Formats: sequence, structure tokens, C-alpha cells
Amino acid sequence: MSSDPAATVVVTGAAGWLGQNLVRALAPTRDRVRALVQAPSEAPLLELAGPSVEAVVGDVRDPDAVDRLFADVAGATVVHAAGVIHPDGRTRPFFDVNVGGTQMVLDRARRARAGRFVHISSNSPFGANAAPTDRFDEGSAPNPYLAYGRSKLDAEDLVRRGFGRGDIEAVILRPPWFYGPFQPRRQDRFFSALRRGRFPMVGDGRQQRSMVFTGNLVRACLAAEVADGVAGRAYWVADAEPYELRRIFAGVREALEAEGLAVSGPDAPRLPRRVADLAARADALLQGVDRYVQPVHVLGELRDTIACDIGRARAELGYEPEVSLVDGMRASIMWCLERGRRL
Amino acid sequence: MARTVLVTGGSGYFGTLLAEQAAAWGHDVRIFDLARPGPDTTAEVVIGDVRDRTALRSACEGVDVVLHNVAQVPLAKDHDLFWSVNVVGTANVLLAARDAGVGKVVHTSSSAIFGIPEGNPITEATPGRPLEAYGQAKLEAEVLCHEAAASGLDVSIVRPRTILGHGRLGIMAVLFEFVAEGAPVFVLGGGTNRYQFVHADDLADAVLRAADRPGPATYNIGADDPPTMRETISALVDHAGTGSRVRSLPTGPAAAAMRALAGADLVPFAPYHWLLYGESLWFDTTRAHDELGWAPQHSHASMLIESYEWYLTHRSTLNEPGRSHHQSPVPLGLLRLLKRLP
Repeated sequence: MSSDPAATVVVTGAAGWLGQNLVRALAPTRDRVRALVQAPSEAPLLELAGPSVEAVVGDVRDPDAVDRLFADVAGATVVHAAGVIHPDGRTRPFFDVNVGGTQMVLDRARRARAGRFVHISSNSPFGANAAPTDRFDEGSAPNPYLAYGRSKLDAEDLVRRGFGRGDIEAVILRPPWFYGPFQPRRQDRFFSALRRGRFPMVGDGRQQRSMVFTGNLVRACLAAEVADGVAGRAYWVADAEPYELRRIFAGVREALEAEGLAVSGPDAPRLPRRVADLAARADALLQGVDRYVQPVHVLGELRDTIACDIGRARAELGYEPEVSLVDGMRASIMWCLERGRRL
Repeated sequence: MARTVLVTGGSGYFGTLLAEQAAAWGHDVRIFDLARPGPDTTAEVVIGDVRDRTALRSACEGVDVVLHNVAQVPLAKDHDLFWSVNVVGTANVLLAARDAGVGKVVHTSSSAIFGIPEGNPITEATPGRPLEAYGQAKLEAEVLCHEAAASGLDVSIVRPRTILGHGRLGIMAVLFEFVAEGAPVFVLGGGTNRYQFVHADDLADAVLRAADRPGPATYNIGADDPPTMRETISALVDHAGTGSRVRSLPTGPAAAAMRALAGADLVPFAPYHWLLYGESLWFDTTRAHDELGWAPQHSHASMLIESYEWYLTHRSTLNEPGRSHHQSPVPLGLLRLLKRLP
């Protein structure tokens, strides 16, 4: 049971990791893809994906820019993928962009009489699982992890309230840790550290993580656009199964080797769990005074199991993840190598 | 068939030559460049920046073929410009061409996308593996060409080896100055590496032939039978008869010194230059021969000697302002010291 895809799709965060993949998937089959990008230089790179792509340059917090984004798009599908995940030093942008930006986009989508509104949320409103075998599902209680988690939870609440008022026909997707083409530079650094055996493994590496290949997530967005009877609901969207952290690290090294990049060093230097506990505490203290230090945040999160069950997305959206760890990592590495990025 | 051809970067060293040759082929030529071309050009001129989409849009009006040669060259050593000009600028050109219904784009790439290759010769199937920012930007630009081609624009790519010809200087001026003064000239590691050049006229011929061939394709372009660096430079030294001798420096220490000095701007080279001078890099040009009927007219020794003779004739006037990177000699910096070696 599903409706037809919309002729026009509005994408925020279009130059981001998901946005780049999504715009390229949409460009060949839609009449118009309105794409919000922050920097003028991002516009032509995105518009090359096809004549249907119309980039709008501006910030998701800027009413003028968002007005231009939503000009004359009645009935369009909206994929709201703009968000800040690793801000530059301060935590404030989490709220300005993730909450304020969402409010702005919801409002303009309502006024423009847009159609289905696919909101990209996160695992972070739900914190970590208590045990490595636990799974989040759509019945899990919110337990936001630090500032990012709180901001994404606030954004979900805005979306739900907008749906409750009948403003928009929203579907919320909760993807965890991304991997895939158009990766940011931080993922290059992650790959090259793993390649040289220099990325730390926290504890025994049996903590589990759900990850989502960007191609799978694009499929989920497309499924959420057309599925019937799902408005107002939220869905966990990830690869078919969570992976143990040690399996993720090994999988990246396997993928690097399969793409012709020799790996060296041990699998990963071990860090006791309590070091990550300390990092998590330091992260909380820092964020309490509006400071965001990315390595501290990442190290703190590495100890946790953050895993979800995608059964409901499968059943209700008809979502089926096609790509899993090593193949997806290979696609990412190939994408880097084609562009001369050094890993 | 006479067509309207837009040459971006048409006031630069190679662009000027390409615009002249396009006119000689009977095309109506329009030049798009930041700078005015020389006074004797017969081309229509549009002054503009490839970072300006509006300027490009009007430049592409009524154009059949775009020959895209704008690039921030390695000597610029400016990473932001490599991105904004070489990558985003190329996207702008491709979009303007697509939107104006241009029938063919030929993008001039660079052998810098190959860094120091694991093996030679390099074919069109060899994957790019750049070693520095300039090569990375040129490879990104190629990716954009492929993306534009996938959405229906007819874009071909031409990758030249190091360009020579009358009026081409840049880093070659270093070599020529040493030879003219009878100073020792240096090769690295015995100079046994095979280093390929291409004459600007031969390259322009390849670009114009690629423009005439429908369908996206990539061509590697270099002169036939690349000799070793020592053979090439010996031919020049013998021709000059100034008493210069070819000497060899050990590769490792020389490269380390260059890296340190170039980083401090004490020698005129960009990473791409010192990385490659002692290395082999040569193209298999079979595809250009077969598909384009292209055959280079200039040998390595003859084009190096031609460039040197041009340098001798124009030496006194070379430092005048307003010349492009490739038309001006680079300042020697600390390399001057090498001349004093016995």
C-alpha cells in the first residue's frame, strides 16, 4: 500500500552526508529537487546531478532562505536532513540549528502546503542500551544523550506537535551512525587511523552499534515518502543487524584491503572502558558550559551499545536494507579513492 | 565544420595557442578569461571569472563547443583557489554549458592526477592517485565531468603531460637560465627516469580533434617515445654549447631539501614539481592515435630546444608584469646557490 512519489522534493542539508546521496538518487526521476545548501560553492556541485536540481543557498535558520526554498512547492515531499552533529567548539548550534531550524522548516512546509514531511532524527534522543543484547524499538523511552540528544529530541517533539495540529504529514526516521559515499573528512581520518591500527578500541569491543549505509537510508527516505498509514509515526532505520564494535573495525580494515589499500599495525590499541567513562564525564562537564570537543565526545560514546531493531520500518514502510558493512565500506572507500582522497 | 568555440582561460599560455589554432581550423572563437588576451587576437573576448556563474552563462550563449582550460596552476600553491577555481569553477562551466545547450565540452585535465605512478606507461584505465592538492583538485574536476556526462552533457577529458613550446616558461626558466649561464644542470638519481613532455601545438591539435568526436571520452596526451631525463637534458646542453654539464643529485636528500625549501617559499617549485622531477611518468597515447587520428609533430629534444631558443630571444623582457604563470619565469630563490657549484 503506497502513494505515488511527489514530482517535487525539498531537501534541507542537501550538501551533507545524507543529502548528497539523496539528491543524486532523486535527480533523475523527479521534476524538481529543491536543495538547501549553506555555501554558494556547494550549489554548482550539487546541480551537476541533473537539470532537476535547484540549489537554494542559505541557512536553515534564515527565514528568507527557507522562504525561497519553499516557494511554489505545494504537494512536494520534504526531507528535512539539515542538522548539526559536530559543531565547532560550542554546543549552542545544536539548539539553534536542530531545534530552531526544524521549527522554521515545519512552518514554511505548512504554509507551502507541502506533502509528506520526512524528518531525519537520530538515535541520540534515546541514549545507550543497558546491555549489549538490548535493542531500541519504537516503544523505547526517550533518554537523550547530552546536548545533541536533547536537541534532536526537541526537534522530534516539534514535528510530532506539528503533526498533531494537522500542520504537516510527518514521518520521523531515526538513523544511527552513518557510513557511505560523500563522507565528511572526519570519516577519512577514522578510516586512515583504522588502516594503521591507531584507532582505539574501548573495552573488549563487544558493545554493539547499529550503523546505516547512506544508500540504505536513502531507500528508507523514499519508502517513508510513499508508505500509507504511517504519518505521525517514528521508525528506527539502520542496516539489517547491529554490529559489534570490533566487527566494525575489522570490517573497515577488510574493506580497505579489498580496495587495494594495505593495512598495518594491530587491529586497534585497547583502551580500558574507564577511560571512555572519564571522557564521557568530561564531555558532559564541557557541554554544561557550552563547550563541544569532538574527540572527547566520540571517545565517550565508544563504550556504549547503541543498537536498534528495524522490524517496524520493515513491516510498515516496506524498508529493506540491501547493503551491509563490508560492501558499504568498500563503496565509501572507492568513492574516496576516485577523488584522490588519501586514507 | 565551422562552429562557435568558447575557450575558457583563452588568455593564458596554452589558451592563447588553442584559440589561435581553433581559429585556424575555421571556428568562430570566443575567449573567456580574467585577463585580456594579446592585442593581435581576432577572437571575441568576454572578461570574467569562472567563479561567476552569471558571467559564464552569458559567455556560453550561442556556443557549440566549450574548451575548458581555466586552472589555478600548481605554482599558485593556493589550496583554496585550487578548490574554488579548479573544482567549483569546472562545475560552473559544465552547468553553464549544459544550460546553454552546448554540444561538446573538452576539459583540459592534468597528469598531476597520477601523482608518482606505480608503473608506466599510464593508460586511460589507470586510476588517478594524486599526491598533492593541485592533483587532487584536478581529479575532483574530472569526477565532475563524469557526473555531467552521466546526466547527458557530452564532455571529454584531455590530460596533457608537461607542456612545452615557444613562450612556455614557468619552471622551465630555471633550467634554461642554468644552461644559458653554463652552470651545471641537475637530474635526480642519475636521470634514468622517463619524463614526458607535449608540445602545446600538438596538445591543441588533440583538444580540437577531441572536440570533433562525439561522445564522452578521455585521452592521455604526450609526445612519442619519451626519453630519459638525462637524455632530454643532455640534448639541450649539447645544443646550447655553453659548457653546462649534466650532474646527478641523490633523489632522497634532494627531494627532502626541496620539500623544506618549497614549504618556506625559498625555491620556486610547488610540491607537484619536486615530487615528479626524478620520477617516471609517461602516457600510452594509443587511444588518441587510434580514435582521434592524432599524431604529435614534435619530439622531446626539438621542443625543449625550441623553448630554450625562445627563452634566449626574449630573456631581457620576460619579467614584465601582466604575464601568466606559465609565460613568466619563476624567481630562482635559493636555487641560485646551485649555480655556483663546480
